[in-house]
Amino acid sequence: MSTTDDYEDSNYEYVTARIRSRRSKLFDDDDYRKLVRMGTGEIARFMEESEYETEMNRLGSRYSGSDLVEYALNENLAGHFDDLLRWSNGRLYDYVARYLRKFDAWNIKTVLRGLYSDAPRDDVEADLIDAGEFSADLLDDLVDAGSVEEVVEALDRTIFGDALGAAVEDYEETGLLVPLENAVDRTFYEHLISGLPDEPDRATGLYIEFLEAEIDFRNLRNALRLARSGADMDPADYYIDGGRLFDADELRQLVANEDQLVERVRTSVYGDELDDALDVLADAESLIEFEHALDAALLEYADTLSNRYPLSVCPVLSFVLAKEREVDNVRAIARGREAGLSPEQIEAELVVL
Amino acid sequence: MAEDVKPTRKELMQIEERIELSERGHDTLEQKRDGLIMEFMDILDEAQDVRSDLDEKYEEAQNAINMARALDGDVAVRGAAAALKEHPELTTQSKSVMGVYIPQIDSTKVRKSLDERGYGVLGTSARIDEAASAYEELLEQIILAAEVETAMKKMLDEIETTKRRVNALEFKLLPELRANEEYIEQKLEEQEREEIFRMKKIKDKKEREEDEEAEAEREAEEAETVAADD
Repeated sequence: MSTTDDYEDSNYEYVTARIRSRRSKLFDDDDYRKLVRMGTGEIARFMEESEYETEMNRLGSRYSGSDLVEYALNENLAGHFDDLLRWSNGRLYDYVARYLRKFDAWNIKTVLRGLYSDAPRDDVEADLIDAGEFSADLLDDLVDAGSVEEVVEALDRTIFGDALGAAVEDYEETGLLVPLENAVDRTFYEHLISGLPDEPDRATGLYIEFLEAEIDFRNLRNALRLARSGADMDPADYYIDGGRLFDADELRQLVANEDQLVERVRTSVYGDELDDALDVLADAESLIEFEHALDAALLEYADTLSNRYPLSVCPVLSFVLAKEREVDNVRAIARGREAGLSPEQIEAELVVL
Repeated sequence: MAEDVKPTRKELMQIEERIELSERGHDTLEQKRDGLIMEFMDILDEAQDVRSDLDEKYEEAQNAINMARALDGDVAVRGAAAALKEHPELTTQSKSVMGVYIPQIDSTKVRKSLDERGYGVLGTSARIDEAASAYEELLEQIILAAEVETAMKKMLDEIETTKRRVNALEFKLLPELRANEEYIEQKLEEQEREEIFRMKKIKDKKEREEDEEAEAEREAEEAETVAADD
C-alpha cells in the first residue's frame, strides 16, 4: 500500500479484476424480491447462506433479529472496504481512501456521541465500522478515551485534527456536540475534493465530477433541510466548498426561497437527472423521497462510470456505492419487516438499479 | 337508631334543624354533582380528541423512527439521539373547577429547531429530522393528554365522592332523621295522650271524691233530720 502520486504505481487492473468477482456476489433483484417477503428470522437464515455467512455466524451469539443483520452487514462492509484499501496502490489508494474516510468520520462521531451520553465502551466499540483509513490501534485509542478532549488529542495527527482542535473550544463553551460533528463532516467533504489533479484523464475527471456531485447533493439536502426547519441558522455555516452547483452566498439567498432553490437546481447541470425528484419535492411535504432520488441519481451515475471506463477508479467507486446500497437495502428490509411494514412499502424504500 | 334518641321536644327541634340543613346540603350537592358531570362531559370530549390525536401521533412517530432505523440504521439513529443535551422542562400549576383542583402543565424546550437537537447537520439525513420532529410532536401530545386525563380522573373522583355524599344524605341520613323525628313526635303525642288520660283520671277521681263527700254530707244531713224528727 502506498500513497505516492505516481500514476504508474496505481494497480487498476488488479483491483478492478478483484472487484468484478466481489461485485458478482452482490444481491440481485431476485434476492431482494425474496428478502422483502421474508420475516427477520428468514432473512438471517438467508444471509447465513450467502456472502454474509462468516459475520452472521460470528455475531450470532451476541445479537439476534435485525440487530444481528445490521451488525453483520456493517462488519461485512468494513471487511470489503478494508480489502479495497489493502489492494490499492498509488493514486488509486488515494482516490478510494478519500471516499472511505466517511467511515472514519462516522467512527469519530460514534465515539464522541458515546462519550457524550456515557454509553458503555463495548456498545461504542460494537457501533464502529472499521472501513475507513484509521488503524485498529487508533480506533482502540478512541474507544478507550475518557473525554471528548482526549479523543480530539488522539486525532491530532489525522486530517480531522485541526478542525476538531478549533471546534473543541465551541464545544466547551456550548456543551453541544454540533460544532465537533460539523467539523468532522466538513473535514471529510473538504478532503474529498482537495489535492486532485488539475488536468485529469477522462476517467479521473468523471470520478471528480462524481465527488463534486456528492458535495452538491449534500449542500442541496442541507439547504432544503434548513429551509424547511425554520431554524435561525446561517446556511453558509453548513456550506461545503468544492461543488459545482452553488457558492456560499448564493446558497444563503436560495435557502430563503425554496421555489427559487428548486428552479436553480432544475436549470443546473443536474437538471436532467433530478427533474423527476424535483417534481416529487414540489408535491411532497417530506424530504425523504427527494433524498431517495438523490441517492438513486448518484448510484446511477456511478454505475454508468463503471461501464464506460473499466480500467480506472470508476469501477472501484461503483462497487463501493453498490455495496453501501446493498447494506442499506438489506438493513431497510430487515428493520422494515421487524416494524411490520408490508413488502410493497419496503420495496418503495429500496434503491435498486 | 330511634331507640337511642331521647323523645324530648328539644331533641325534636334539633332533629328538625338537622333535617332542614341536610335537605339544603342535599340540594346543593346534587347541583354540584350535576355541574361536575357537565364539566366532566366537556373534558371527556376533549380527552377523547386528545387521545385519538395521541394514537395518531404515536403511529406517525413509530413510523418515522422505523423508517429512520431502516434506512439510516439503528446505530445512526441511536447516535443522533445520544447527541441531545437539553431535555424538555415541565412546570405544573393548578386551577380550580367547581372546587376541584386540576393540573395545568406548561412545557418548554419540547420542540427543538435543527440546531438545538445536538446532532450535526452535515452528516445526518432528513429521515432523522423527521423522526425527531415526530417524537417532539408526540411528546407535546403526551403532555397535553396527561393534563386532560388527570383533570378527567380528578373530576371523576370528585363526582364519585359527591354522588356518595348525595346518596348518603338521601338514603341514609335523611331517612334516619325523619324516622327519629317521627319517633319523637309519636312518643310526644303518646306522652300527651297519657297526660290527658291521667288528667281525666284525676278529674274523674276528684269528681268521684266530691260526689262521695256530697253524698256523705247529704246522708249526714238526712241522718240529722231523722234524728230531729224522732
